[in-house]
Amino acid sequence: MEKTIKFLKYKYIAIGGYWAVVIMLLAGTFINGGFNYGIDFAGGYKIIAKFQDSSVSEGVIRKALNDFNPTVQKIGEESKNQYIITTKLENTAVASSKDSADQTSNSKYDMLKKTLNEKFTGVSIQSEETVGPAIGDYLRKSAWKLTFMAVLLMSIYLAFRFEVKYAVGGMISLFHDMIMSVAFCGIMGIEINVQILAALLTLYGYSINDTIVIFDRIRETDQLRAKTTFEDVINKAITQTLTRTLLTGVTTLFAVLVLFLIGGEALHEFSLVLLFGIIAGTFSSIYIASPITLWWEKWRAAK
Amino acid sequence: MTKGMVYKSIFILLLITFSVLLILPTVGTKKMEIRLTDSVTAQDIETINKRFSSGSYKLEMNDKIIIVSGTNITDAIMNEVKIYTGVADVKLLKHWVETYFLAKKINLGLDLQGGMYLVLQANFEGIQAKLGRELTEKDKNEITQQALELLRNRIDKFGVSEPSIRPRGNDAIEIQLPGVKDPSGVKKAIGTTGSLEYRLVDDKYTAMASAWFAQNYKDKKLPESQDEYKGILLEISKAISLPDTLETLFFYNRNKDTGAVVPEYPIVLQKEISLNGTDIQEATVDRDEYGQVVVVFKTTADGAAKFAKATSEPNHGKKLAIVLDNKVRNAPNIKETIASGSGNISGGFAYEEALTLARIIKEGALPVDLRIVEERTVGPSLGQDSIESGVKAFAVGIIGIMVFAIGYYRMGGVFANLGLILNMIFTVAILSLLGFTLTVPGIAGFLLSVAMAVDANVIIYERIKEELKKGKSIRIAIENGFDRAFWTIFDSNLTTILAAFILFQYGTGPIKGFAVTLFVGIIVSMFVALYLTRFVYELLALNKKMKKLSI
Repeated sequence: MEKTIKFLKYKYIAIGGYWAVVIMLLAGTFINGGFNYGIDFAGGYKIIAKFQDSSVSEGVIRKALNDFNPTVQKIGEESKNQYIITTKLENTAVASSKDSADQTSNSKYDMLKKTLNEKFTGVSIQSEETVGPAIGDYLRKSAWKLTFMAVLLMSIYLAFRFEVKYAVGGMISLFHDMIMSVAFCGIMGIEINVQILAALLTLYGYSINDTIVIFDRIRETDQLRAKTTFEDVINKAITQTLTRTLLTGVTTLFAVLVLFLIGGEALHEFSLVLLFGIIAGTFSSIYIASPITLWWEKWRAAK
Repeated sequence: MTKGMVYKSIFILLLITFSVLLILPTVGTKKMEIRLTDSVTAQDIETINKRFSSGSYKLEMNDKIIIVSGTNITDAIMNEVKIYTGVADVKLLKHWVETYFLAKKINLGLDLQGGMYLVLQANFEGIQAKLGRELTEKDKNEITQQALELLRNRIDKFGVSEPSIRPRGNDAIEIQLPGVKDPSGVKKAIGTTGSLEYRLVDDKYTAMASAWFAQNYKDKKLPESQDEYKGILLEISKAISLPDTLETLFFYNRNKDTGAVVPEYPIVLQKEISLNGTDIQEATVDRDEYGQVVVVFKTTADGAAKFAKATSEPNHGKKLAIVLDNKVRNAPNIKETIASGSGNISGGFAYEEALTLARIIKEGALPVDLRIVEERTVGPSLGQDSIESGVKAFAVGIIGIMVFAIGYYRMGGVFANLGLILNMIFTVAILSLLGFTLTVPGIAGFLLSVAMAVDANVIIYERIKEELKKGKSIRIAIENGFDRAFWTIFDSNLTTILAAFILFQYGTGPIKGFAVTLFVGIIVSMFVALYLTRFVYELLALNKKMKKLSI
């Protein structure tokens, strides 16, 4: 325990690696055709349908509903024969004017259902969602507003309770978490909807929590500092809190892993995002938040 | 033990008892009462028995009442059973805790129990045009509230129990209907914009249209879709060479067996609108002096003049059609001039028919154009799957964490686990008091708060360990450990609380649910870790003989 691990010795490699991963994920996302906004944000129509005919496949459904340009995805157990069928407003020609889109798209969705019933026998609709363009817009805007306000308020608190350098480190690290987790959703083709937004927010909460525990220790150790550098202080603090970081990380990861494995369809993508994000968030607390704080301190001292 | 510690113990015990009571309606056995009709058949009862045949339900039957008890009884299930044949009424029986304390059971969101979620957006353009001015935010709010009342009425009539109808902002309404089986029916019922008009019937052309229709569509079944009706109507108009001032529409009636509103015969009306739906103020069902069921209505001040004109001498003997969304729903005869602004419609109605008519007239008075902008329907089985696997995963996760805690911290782990259990009990208790609805994002918030509760314990224990390593005595180590951990836990949790607060203030539906569970969960976990667990260790430290702390 007395030995201090020199975490920050590898800060350039770590940050470089982090960004390499981010860039890879983002590049992959754009090669795959960009982010998969759910109908919550894009507006559109989504149904979960169960087919009696077991010879049905994603391709067959897509072909049958070709006019609607849908995305089709099989979900749940193989034997259940359940598919998610989504059409987004941007995919269809009717999105031109807001008012007419509300009207025409509704009948378009009825058409889609009708076509489905005509082309396949024994289709039962398990769930059905329609989001108008205005709502998608509203939800998207409010999501941005929320994120911005939450980050701002947390920064103010950090600057007030700690020091400006910690606020800067914490917030830059938080932005890293955001980019990383959103890029992950992108490459995995995870549909960005309200539930995934909740998962992302959970992550940011977890990551900032993790960061502050380390900052708290840095602050404490810093007050007792004699002849050591700030970098050594940070290394010592990270080492001292390492057991806690790992214990909390492992227990939380375990809970999320269980959710991922047996939590059912509704929680599947949700827990996948959390799994990745908790690891990334823990990493960013050590290798993004701490170096940024260090650099800020050095920059201030040099001035 | 000091006197203070005794009081503290009593306080904690009371708190735990009360919380356990509060969570009973949520986690305990729930009961549902199914009242059967007099004409119920053995087969109907068999259907009900079969629905609840799985092991987790218990049925008691006496006379015309079946009591179903089980832990998984939701509003959705209640609404599902309600439409079974032979069922007169279904209600969830209140848990005695709900009756005597403020607690309410935690409702499940529609993503978990199945049902329908709608957002209706009000369009004020029509009203603004009528008033000739821009509406203020306050006006809009008031109109939305009014529409809300009307919607509530409509949905109550639809027989859905436990609907949640709330305003969202100044111009939208959020509706949640658990366990609705027929979304399109509900959508029609509440999405009707209320374009109600009163128009005079032209008897001469109506007779011609009827004759033509009877001849050409005698055996043919009418097509299913609305759009095709328009074609037929145009065909009729053309065939009888209708003048431009007139229009052919269908007369609709409710099919007694299916309850669906279906077209019956064509009817020819003046294009000119005699009276708007909004010219009527209210309509109710009553009986006239002969005991006949009638629909009594009252016009607005504006409407009275229009109505007097429409019912004036030359129009006596004619019919005044009530047209709802281009469907003629009724066409009473004009017998006399009504100038007073109130009158009644008689016509040998059955009570139900009169009620429907009054409803239509009232709906016509709905002043605002509502449009469905968001709609989500989750089937009952999907919701059921979600809740079952969600609960299972949660339980396995928690047990895993507990085993790990005991493995790592030994006795300390046992206390941490007790804290974790209390943490969950308190959280559920507070959410019960708040009348909370649990959704999938809510589960996420809960999970995060549990993770932070574990974290709090880890931070404290690691600190105590450090202090012990420095050679401090057990009592001092415990005191220092908790003192030092306090600000760490406080700061790290407070930032999360700030975020949760923002999400709660400005977030919408599901995000709000997430924020509430997170907020409550974190406050509770801080209380448990920093107050309760600390107290337990303070009690332990009283034992002066203790040489080693199992941590």
